Amino acid sequence: MLEIKNLHATIAGKEILKGLNLTVNEGEVHAIMGPNGAGKSTLSNVLTGHPAYTVTAGEVFFRGKNLLTMSPEERAREGMFLSFQYPVEIPGVSMVNFMRTAVNEKRKHEGKPALSATDFLKLMREKKALVGMDNHLTKRSVNEGFSGGEKKRNEIFQMAMLEPCLSILDETDSGLDIDALRIVAEGVNALKTPHTASIVITHYQRLLDYIVPDFVHVLADGKIVRTGGKELALELEDKGYAFLNEQP
Amino acid sequence: MLNEIILHPGEHREIILLNEPDTNWHIIQEARSTLLLHVIALPHPNDEAQWHTSITVEHKATGCKTEMYGLALLHSQQQHHLTTRVLHNVGGGYSSQLFKFVLDDESKASFKGELKILPDAQQVEAYQTNRNILLSRQAEMTTEPQLEIYADDVKASHGATTGQLDDSALFYMQQRCISRETARKLLLYAFFEDVLRTLPNEQMQEDIVEKINEYIG
Repeated sequence: MLEIKNLHATIAGKEILKGLNLTVNEGEVHAIMGPNGAGKSTLSNVLTGHPAYTVTAGEVFFRGKNLLTMSPEERAREGMFLSFQYPVEIPGVSMVNFMRTAVNEKRKHEGKPALSATDFLKLMREKKALVGMDNHLTKRSVNEGFSGGEKKRNEIFQMAMLEPCLSILDETDSGLDIDALRIVAEGVNALKTPHTASIVITHYQRLLDYIVPDFVHVLADGKIVRTGGKELALELEDKGYAFLNEQP
Repeated sequence: MLNEIILHPGEHREIILLNEPDTNWHIIQEARSTLLLHVIALPHPNDEAQWHTSITVEHKATGCKTEMYGLALLHSQQQHHLTTRVLHNVGGGYSSQLFKFVLDDESKASFKGELKILPDAQQVEAYQTNRNILLSRQAEMTTEPQLEIYADDVKASHGATTGQLDDSALFYMQQRCISRETARKLLLYAFFEDVLRTLPNEQMQEDIVEKINEYIG
C-alpha cells in the first residue's frame, strides 16, 4: 500500500529525514518509535504533504501512485489520513459543515454522488456511536474549546467518517490519561479491516498495549535503524533509546 | 454628500451602506433612540473603485444605543477608507462597533475610529473592534483607534488585529480532503460570520454570501 524508498526531507534548509525506507502492506500495523528530534513528526508531515517540508531525494508510492506529486487534499482523498498530534481549532467553522464538506469531497473523488442531508446525519450518528463521541461536540466549531482528550477523540471520529485505507496516528497518546487512551485505541481497533493499514508514531510503549503492532521500527537521526516485532517496543521501554548506540 | 439625521426619542433606525461611494453621515441620537448601521463593501467590477465613508454618531440624551458593523472584501486596486466618530455626550449610553476587512491583491483600506466619552457621560458602555485579513503581500491595512475617555465610571474597550488566513487550519482541512480553495472559503465565511448574522434580514445575508462566494469561487 505504501512504499517509501530512500526518503530525504528538509525543513528550512535543515535535513531531518536522511534516507528512510519503509514498506506497509494491507492489514498491517507499524509502530514508529524513537527519541525526540529523530524525525517522527517530519515523516507524517512529509507523507501528508505539509508545505513547510521539502523532499530532496527518494520516492514514495501510495497505492501504486507517486505520492510526492499529489496535493495534500489528493493524498487525503486517495485514503491517507493523519490523526494530528495537535489538532487545529477552527472557530466559526461548524463540525457538521466541515465534516459534510470533507465526506462529499472524498465521495466526489470516488465518483459517488454527494450524501443527502438525511444520509449524512445518519452517518454522523453511526460513527459517533462507534467512537464514543459526545453529541455536544459535533454541535460546536471544529475543535474549538475541546479538551486534549476531546480533540484526540474527534480525530478518531473524523477517521471513522472518512474511512481511510492508511491511517497515520502522530503521537495520539500525548496528553491523554489512561482512560482516554484506551477509548481512542478501541476506536482505532474498531476501524481496522484486512484492507486498511496504520502507522502509529509514538514516543512511549504504553499505546502499543492497546494498538498491537505487527512491526516496530526505531527511527533515529532521520533513518530507520532497527526493525522488530512488538517485543522490540518492550525492550526500548526497558533500556531506553541509548542502547541503540551501543550495538553494531 | 453630507447626510444629517436626527433620531427622535425612542426611534429605531436601520441603515445599510452597500458599496456606497463617498458618503458622510452625521447622526444625532435623542433619548432612548437606537441605531443599527452596516457598512459593506463587496467585490465590484470596477477594479479601481474607492469608497470613503465617514460616520459621526452623537448621543445627545440618555439611554441611546448604537450598533455599527461592517465587512469589506476588496481586490485589485480598490480602496475603502472608513472613519467613525462616536461621541458620548451624556451618560447611560451604549455603543459597539465591529468592522472586518479582507484585502486581496493590491487593495488598501483604513479604519479610523474615534471614540469620545465626555466628563459628564457616566455609566457608558463603549466597544470598538477591528479585525483584518490580508490575502496578499501587496495589500495594505491601516488602523487608527483613538479613544478619549474623560468620565471615570464607564466600560470601554478596543482591539485591532491584522493577519493572514491561518495556514495550519488550511492544511488541517486539506488533510481532510477539502481543496485549498474551499478551505479558504470556509475560513472567510467563518471570519465574516459574526458580522453577517447581525444583518437585519436573511435575504440580504444570502445575497452577500453569494457575492463573496462568486469572488472566492
